[in-house]
Amino acid sequence: MTPDAQALAWHCPGPARQANVMRSRTEGALDQDRIWDDLMHRANQGDGAAFLQFLTQVTPRLRGLIRARGRGLPPDLHEDILQEVLLAIHLKRGTWDGTGPVRFWLYAVARHKVVDAFRRRGRRVHLPLDDVAEMLAADPGPAPLAARDADRMLGMIDARSAALVRAVRLEGQSTEDAAARIGVTPGTARVVLHRAMKRLAELAERMK
Amino acid sequence: MTQRPSTEALIRSLAASPPPPPLTARGLAGPVVAALTISLGLFLWLIGLRANLGQALADPAILAKSLLPLALAVPALVLALRSARPGRVVRPGLLILPAAAALALFLARGVQVPSGQILPELLGHSAAACLLSITALSAPATLVGLIVLRRGASLRPARTGALIGMAAAAGTAAGYALHCTEDSPLFFTTWYGLAILIGTGIGALAGQRLLRW
Repeated sequence: MTPDAQALAWHCPGPARQANVMRSRTEGALDQDRIWDDLMHRANQGDGAAFLQFLTQVTPRLRGLIRARGRGLPPDLHEDILQEVLLAIHLKRGTWDGTGPVRFWLYAVARHKVVDAFRRRGRRVHLPLDDVAEMLAADPGPAPLAARDADRMLGMIDARSAALVRAVRLEGQSTEDAAARIGVTPGTARVVLHRAMKRLAELAERMK
Repeated sequence: MTQRPSTEALIRSLAASPPPPPLTARGLAGPVVAALTISLGLFLWLIGLRANLGQALADPAILAKSLLPLALAVPALVLALRSARPGRVVRPGLLILPAAAALALFLARGVQVPSGQILPELLGHSAAACLLSITALSAPATLVGLIVLRRGASLRPARTGALIGMAAAAGTAAGYALHCTEDSPLFFTTWYGLAILIGTGIGALAGQRLLRW
């Protein structure tokens, strides 16, 4: 960190606040991923209680997504669409193979079914994947991290970890794909990623 | 509309249902390879392998006739499965390598032979039989693959269908090569390639209809 950047970090509250946001968001997401992955894994082994818990946790988020996108449609219809999404999650859960977080799988399924449901009811809905990710995120926090601040913080950790964080946490690639790109095993990537997130959290703490 | 059960009741009933069978690599590859084996086996049994197959395969150019389509079929099958998993990224890079190798073989032969001989070699004498056989023989494998992939959740059904059609047609071409005696790369890269493209297109059209969910 150059002296200039340090001065900026100390005197400019914006980046520090956002660094905090990044810390809470990413740590929350990590915890949530672990929980959801575990629940879905057990659910697919036949553990009904785990699947009940998974569906119960994702339902309020899905409901929020549909409500936000379906303004102007009667609420009754929202609940119909929600049920279609939940049914699809059940019918297609065998397609999650555990290589990436179940969260990405869930985003893709939810987006597909919501867009499809609105289209079949004669409404076209524009639903970028980022929106879905945002609305289903663990701990939405006050503001998304600006790319500029993320770049600054990633500049403070080693290049390989920074590349992983950028690919997985900011660009939403699966850990497996990112690992293949930089030439390590997915297990190693997870460890590197976890340490990098801790390091970023410490940096954010220092920048406060 | 009022008959709809409450969402809580739906969640409870879903949680009480047994999990659907997982979509696995073995679950897709098994039936597709079985279908290929049966249709190619019947074909080769009725029509026959080429004479001196063992000797012929010692020639790298003739071996490539089987190996190149195989090198396309395997990654196409892998990508077809991946494309049926929501949230997975599908990069077609693996498909480019065998295609590029085929093009290189084509060009190498093209500069080797005198220009008057290029067209006769390219057209050969069995182009129609080749196209027809590969397309027809790959149809069962494409259909079986599509049936398995209906359990998948492809976000782009036409792409998934195209990939399974490509895998089936390329796999069929690899087997058909054991019968076909036209060994000029000008012939087999052109017509096998075209047959594989036809299979890919059929797969895309069928996938668009069959793989929606």
